[in-house]
Amino acid sequence: MGPLAALTPLLETRGIGKRFGGLEAVTGVDLRLARGEVRALIGPNGAGKTTLVGLISGRLAPTTGRVLFAGRDVTRLGAADRVRLGIVYTFQITSIYRRLTVADNVAVAVQRRRLRRLADWLAPDARGLAREVEAALGVVGLAGVAAEPAGALPYGHQRLLEIAMALALQPALLILDEPTQGLAAAEIDALCRLVRDVAAGATVLLIEHNMAVVLELAGRITVMDRGRIIAEGPPREIEANPEVQRAYLGQPSATSS
Amino acid sequence: MTLGLHLAVLAVLAALQLVLPPFHHGMVARVMVLAAYAIGYNLLLGYTGLMSLGHAIFFAAGMYGTGLTVHHGGFGVAAALVVGLAAALAVGAVVGVMTVRTAGPAFLIVTMMLAQAFYLATLHFNELTLGDQGFILPALEVTLAGRAFALADPAVKYNVALVVFGACLLASLGLVRSPVGRVLVALRENEERTRLLGYHTGRYRVLAVALSGLVSGLAGATYTLLFSYVGSTFAGVLYSIYPLLWTLLGGAGTTLGPLVGTLLMTYAIDVTSGITDAYLVIVGAALVLTILWAPAGVVGGLRARWARWLP
Amino acid sequence: MPVTLGPHLLLALLEGVVGALVLALTALGLSLVFGVMRIVNVAHGAFFMLGAVVTWYVSSATGSFLLALVAAPLAVGGIAVVADRLVLRRIGYEPESTIVATIGLLYILEQLVLMTYGPYARPVAAPIYFRIDFGWFGYSGYKLVVAAAAAFLLVAAWLALSRTTLGLYLRATQQDREIAQAFAVPVGRVYSLAFGVGGGLAALAGALIVPVQQAHYLMGLDALLLSFVVVILGGLGSLTGTVVAALVVGLADGAVSVLFSPTLAKIVATLLVGVVLAVRGRGLFGEELA
Repeated sequence: MGPLAALTPLLETRGIGKRFGGLEAVTGVDLRLARGEVRALIGPNGAGKTTLVGLISGRLAPTTGRVLFAGRDVTRLGAADRVRLGIVYTFQITSIYRRLTVADNVAVAVQRRRLRRLADWLAPDARGLAREVEAALGVVGLAGVAAEPAGALPYGHQRLLEIAMALALQPALLILDEPTQGLAAAEIDALCRLVRDVAAGATVLLIEHNMAVVLELAGRITVMDRGRIIAEGPPREIEANPEVQRAYLGQPSATSS
Repeated sequence: MTLGLHLAVLAVLAALQLVLPPFHHGMVARVMVLAAYAIGYNLLLGYTGLMSLGHAIFFAAGMYGTGLTVHHGGFGVAAALVVGLAAALAVGAVVGVMTVRTAGPAFLIVTMMLAQAFYLATLHFNELTLGDQGFILPALEVTLAGRAFALADPAVKYNVALVVFGACLLASLGLVRSPVGRVLVALRENEERTRLLGYHTGRYRVLAVALSGLVSGLAGATYTLLFSYVGSTFAGVLYSIYPLLWTLLGGAGTTLGPLVGTLLMTYAIDVTSGITDAYLVIVGAALVLTILWAPAGVVGGLRARWARWLP
Repeated sequence: MPVTLGPHLLLALLEGVVGALVLALTALGLSLVFGVMRIVNVAHGAFFMLGAVVTWYVSSATGSFLLALVAAPLAVGGIAVVADRLVLRRIGYEPESTIVATIGLLYILEQLVLMTYGPYARPVAAPIYFRIDFGWFGYSGYKLVVAAAAAFLLVAAWLALSRTTLGLYLRATQQDREIAQAFAVPVGRVYSLAFGVGGGLAALAGALIVPVQQAHYLMGLDALLLSFVVVILGGLGSLTGTVVAALVVGLADGAVSVLFSPTLAKIVATLLVGVVLAVRGRGLFGEELA
């Protein structure tokens, strides 16, 4: 990695926008994520956060603008190709294979990364796969329930499984969409530790409503309201920003209308 | 244990030919070929989660590909079989590509329409296909290790059927336990999740339809070689509904379900047709009763209760 | 050429219009069931066939075609309601299970007719008989009456859907099942009603066509496939689209059948639908089928 690569942001959106019929969900957003940072994306409900990460992960096609990843224009790539480049998304509403075992859930993710050449597919290394699955489950503390059907796990464990699947892909950019939603206090602490560990090797974009979690994890915060970015900066600055306070109190903000 | 069970099933089928009376000997041979067809269907319904109502297009592609080249081109067994398989694979790939953007009922209706168009084509081009009436193939033989075997000989028929069925059964077992099989099951369970793990889900769907078409076509080609007949009946709606029924009754998403379902249903139809001309009423009744009372099918029910390890 | 093509075109047009209107009536039932219940009813063609067979029974027993025209939709609608209660409701209208169940229903009905009515194609005398002379050929006046009756019934069905409380219930359930339920629409009964009315419409179309086509236990398949073609091209659940598509398909079918061959017409229609659904995943107008 030369000096130039270090300067290029890992992810950049340029004037990205998405319109659903008459509704403009995201308008002209320029977002830049540096390598290795943990960025929180906050804003009131309906601000366009999930739509924005949908555009980044490729689940949605933008109406305007471009997405660049590691300096490469990925706007026209589908979701699967972006995952292969390292943009990994975890769903806001837990999305796992409920009828498969916990181990099989992770195995689907692990094998995608392991089996790159045709030869790997024809003579798969089952032992190596099983070892990696076990390791991935160990990281999130689910090794003990590997043989259970995923749908039978308690909710908090399903969230952890979802994160284990994401980690198994070894993401360069991990997008977490409200990971602490519905978790108990102890589970939230465990999740925060996990995200800090992940951040040692990857860039993290975190959509989160729990401000304690945001302040603990994020180096910078981006605030969205009505489809636009209204503020960006370190946590202290954002907390003091009057416009952000207005947006959260639900008063009409200066930039809109 | 799993592989052992499957080999044991094949061994039982092989041993049965020594004890079965002639009528049942012929029936079981036919059941094995049709069960291979159901195995092809099950790859799609059971392991990929796509319900087709047009599988007769693949069975018939194999049948016509093989039968027409024997009838008009004078091809031998091996060459005709290759043509039949190529035809089925090609039709499977085309149907797979055409349906890649459809889901649920839309997939079902598109497959039904394409199969119906194929069926009507077999009627329309009746100078080539002899339409409804069909045609009978000449006596064929295969040469193995310098010896010629007549396909009309019941023992040869039975063993060819057994080999084809065994190959399909073991191939399906291998597939569902392979990484590709794992992706197909993932597709069945949650397509969006699978895409966001980095899989090109569209390509896997095309692959699944093409493989399913290939196996179904192999069954069609074998059927025509063993029973020496080609006719548009085999391209009709009923031959798309049969594999659905066989698979559901035996257990969709189980490797042994297709054999069990085909065996039960073929005998049920045989008994019913001795009683009434309207024997297809048993098909209707079986469909309704299965979906109401045993949606997991026979083998699926066994797996849920006693044998979680069954593939 | 014009000397021979002229009459052929006129005949194609006439056959097309008659076919289109009867088809619209049949497809309307299928579209209603899909729109309200979100299910694909594969037994729809069997209801069409039953309508024709009941008409043969009633009109040969009583000598009254008009009575048969009333009895057929009522009887078949009743059978549909029973099927809904006994089978479809129990599987919770899960889309693929419902398709399997209605395929089963199709075979049960068809084979029961084969057992009782037999494998014959039997005619029913048209209630009115006159021929209209077009110079080149005479044309059955009854066919034109059928077309007029089908058109009248289509308008009546549209009025019933847009002006009556029942119609309101149906449309409300079609829009949003849960909200309809919250507004005290008896959704369970509305489902039975929709399935019954859908079956009744198919039966009515079957009854109207008997004097022209004869009643036979296998006549349902073509009706089913063409209804699928129409409902998909018209957009699933869109009633206007269904009628427009029926006219287009009916006229095209009439034209290709007369000028080339009926089989070729059906090949073209089925391929067309396959391609339309494959490309758009929905009809030309209307909603996604998924």
